[in-house]
Amino acid sequence: MLKQWFNRWLNQRIPAAEQQTLSHRSIFILPSGFGLLWIMLVVLLFLFGTNYQNNLVIGMALLLASIFVSTILHSYRNLAGLTVISAGTAHTYAGQQLSIPLKLSAERPLFQLQLSFQPENPLRVAEVTAEPQQRVVALQTDHRGRLNPGRLRIESRYPLGLCRVWSWLDLNTHHIVFPTHARGQQPLSRLDDDMGSTGKQLSGVEEYAGLRNYIPGESLKQVAWKQWAQERGMLSKEFTTPAGEPVWLTLAANLNQQQLEQQLSLLCYQVDELAKQPNQYWGLALGPLRIAPNQGQAHRLQCLTALACYQQERL
Amino acid sequence: MSEATDNISRHTLSWLLLCNIAVLLPLIDKAAVATLGICGICFVWRIGIYFGRVAKPPRWLVTTLAIAAGSTLLLVSREIGMLNALINLLILGYALKYIEMRERRDILAIVLAGYFLIALAFIDKQGISDALLSLLVCAINTATLLSVYRGQQAWLLQGRQALILMLQSLPLAVALFVILPRLSPLWLVPQSKSATTGLSDQLRIGDITQLTRSQALAFRVTFDGKAPAAPQRYWRAMVLSDYDGQTWQQAADVRDINWYRPYAIKEALAPTTGATLNYTVIAERSSQHWLFALDRATSSTRAVKNLTDYRLVALKPVEQQFQYQVQSQLDAALDDPLSASTLRENLAIPQDRNPQTLALAQQLKAQYPEPRQRLAAMMQLFNQQPFYYTLSPQPLGQNQLDDFLFSTRQGFCVHYASAFTMLARASGLPARIVAGYQGGIYNASAGYMSVYQYMAHAWAEVWLDGQGWVRYDPTAMIAPERIEQGFDSLFSPEESYLADASFSAIRNSSWFNALRQQFANLDYYWTVWVLGFNEQRQQQLLAKLLGEVTPLRIALFMISVITIVLLVIAWSTGLLRLPSRQSVVDRHFNAVAKASAKAGIKRELAMGPMDFTALLQHHWPQYHAQLDDWNNCYLQLKYQSLSTNELKAITLKFTNKSKEIIKIISRDPAAN
Repeated sequence: MLKQWFNRWLNQRIPAAEQQTLSHRSIFILPSGFGLLWIMLVVLLFLFGTNYQNNLVIGMALLLASIFVSTILHSYRNLAGLTVISAGTAHTYAGQQLSIPLKLSAERPLFQLQLSFQPENPLRVAEVTAEPQQRVVALQTDHRGRLNPGRLRIESRYPLGLCRVWSWLDLNTHHIVFPTHARGQQPLSRLDDDMGSTGKQLSGVEEYAGLRNYIPGESLKQVAWKQWAQERGMLSKEFTTPAGEPVWLTLAANLNQQQLEQQLSLLCYQVDELAKQPNQYWGLALGPLRIAPNQGQAHRLQCLTALACYQQERL
Repeated sequence: MSEATDNISRHTLSWLLLCNIAVLLPLIDKAAVATLGICGICFVWRIGIYFGRVAKPPRWLVTTLAIAAGSTLLLVSREIGMLNALINLLILGYALKYIEMRERRDILAIVLAGYFLIALAFIDKQGISDALLSLLVCAINTATLLSVYRGQQAWLLQGRQALILMLQSLPLAVALFVILPRLSPLWLVPQSKSATTGLSDQLRIGDITQLTRSQALAFRVTFDGKAPAAPQRYWRAMVLSDYDGQTWQQAADVRDINWYRPYAIKEALAPTTGATLNYTVIAERSSQHWLFALDRATSSTRAVKNLTDYRLVALKPVEQQFQYQVQSQLDAALDDPLSASTLRENLAIPQDRNPQTLALAQQLKAQYPEPRQRLAAMMQLFNQQPFYYTLSPQPLGQNQLDDFLFSTRQGFCVHYASAFTMLARASGLPARIVAGYQGGIYNASAGYMSVYQYMAHAWAEVWLDGQGWVRYDPTAMIAPERIEQGFDSLFSPEESYLADASFSAIRNSSWFNALRQQFANLDYYWTVWVLGFNEQRQQQLLAKLLGEVTPLRIALFMISVITIVLLVIAWSTGLLRLPSRQSVVDRHFNAVAKASAKAGIKRELAMGPMDFTALLQHHWPQYHAQLDDWNNCYLQLKYQSLSTNELKAITLKFTNKSKEIIKIISRDPAAN
């Protein structure tokens, strides 16, 4: 209840935007635990000075007190003017860390910022200057879907750690968390009848096609070590998939929640496997959704995104 | 909290090395030998850790050390005083935490303890130089803290930043200092024991260490009217009437005063009407009860008691500057009638000692039956016989006064006063020694008199019928040519003292004296306005500042101070000039972008200068070449390293081009 009210207030005060510059509207400031200890020290010194009627000790207590006041402004200044720009959408597989890219810049240099979506995955930035720098903030994911990372917490304790200044920014972005990979051996499903004859059931993914010269930088897994041992030079094994015929990946009907997630994970793995092969066209059928056979990185992302978001609207 | 587990940066470690020394150095005279030893070990160990030579000590070792040190201190706390024991405990804790630190949290604890230790040094060091030094130590401590939150940055910059932060905070601290109400002590606190003073409540003839040569200030006096003439500057502090042949002490009833029951102290009557001198004394810390005043003195200050021998005592030991008002009747004799016990005390002669002295007294008594003449004759004795004034006299035997009067004939004020007093007593006149200060340097420009520890002096008072106690100073009778060493406490103490010191040429030069005078004045104002800033001065100052002291005016004053301070900080950190901080080049580039946006062609945020130029060229194709020129200038200024002259020339060209283009853009409509 209270949290809801607070969130509504926060949304009004700091509305979501892809680019935001921090100012007094979006910066919060409170004494840190150390700051409270500092105030206790000031009180202690004041009592000490009063009891000993020692004006210098009292003066020192007051100096520490006014240092506290000065640092409020210095702390505020260390966030004010920070510009945060959301630098695109990030992808990852469920259970892995999402690296959310951000662009940071500030008119005046700012020091020792800590950015986090989750308290356990903070990003420390030593210095932000007028030169924009791109950084990524990690976010641990646990399930697939279109992920709203929530508010980015930007915190600083500079210069003396007496005050905690922070801001919560909603960068108005969504990131895609793909299903986890699950290696599957069995064919997923047959081709639906209404797919027509253009499709072909996916069987063996890779087939040995021959040898060619090794290109530096290629994966060592593909090197034909046997031939190399025979001193025939460094050769790569080439695999091809019977080309031409596009394959369809489909989802079985009437699955319960657990099975569905399992199937989606299998499909996810297979999309990635297919994408590795040149000349392989594939399509994806998810319930009513049909993604026409195609190939390439963009197509892969489209398929994976569709897998990620399948039946996720309620989330 | 994840921050607590941070590793400590090397920068911070270096600062901590410096910080440790800076914080502990001013406290060195308070630390016990064992404490210093442990601090030294900790510091050396830290250096070892710093250079990677040794490992961190295991926690059990530190704990054992801490417990051992703590219990040792508890045992000796009776000897060194409770306050000193506490200070030592804190120093030890500081040192042990210092080698044991592992996390950011530990550093924060060290820094906070550091501030407290800096404040502890103020207990007995309150000079301007001490305060300035402490401010520096504070800055070092703050820099250590800053380095925790600032990360890698040049040493000097961090130090500078800490100093700036402190200087920015000073005005507010001063304003708070002025307006915050002064409270009286809230509860009883332990006091430390040691203090240097030229006086002691026991005088021993054989013991010359009693005589201090310290240049430290004893007290200052501000007179309401004219300062008394030099021969009248006898500041009485203690009356010593109990002599056992070795040591002079105060009378038993004064020694046994129970300071916790001050109402039991017998008080003197207020002076009768007559010519009085009113003055204010600011006594420096002495950790003793005695105070200083001229002749027949009484005080109306609350914490001061007037003893029946017209001395003043403070109800609590003087632990920091203590200010009190005095009213003195300079020429009035101290004429209270003597009680039988007082008479007995002041005629007492140690048995079986100094037969020669007693014989001399009897001889003088026979020769001069009139007391005043007899005393004059005794005084003449010191002038006519070859008595020497020296600070390092020969040791005396069992019959001290006989040895002094008839064989060594050299000594300082205590010798002369003792011999004179004993002669007077032996001839039947009640007499006693008065210890105090003689002299005083009057600073006419600031209107106060300074009395230093080296002016400590002892003289005699003799009871004469009808006159009361009369002052006699036998030391003053010594012929000037027989003064072997600095004639410290007589006549012109300053000159004689300084002549004794080195650099006398410099000291005698006028500019040096003027400078010294200035420093003395500065110190006086510091004492009066900072150390002695009390309720009364506060009201005085506030009235001067605000005209009239009302809560509203105080609030307004405070608000305006805070506003000004915060504005200055905001300005200095760049908060107040957010929009205008762009360079000339950026400003013109943005002006062009703004003009084109007005004309309907918007520059996207991510659009670089090349793309933007291309966009402009697309919409204003007729100025293609001009835009190219402009773009080239911009790229050169931004991405090439140029000499100063080139930079100037190209900036000028770019500025002109920008203005031209803005004109063109706002004049000609954009093509599609």
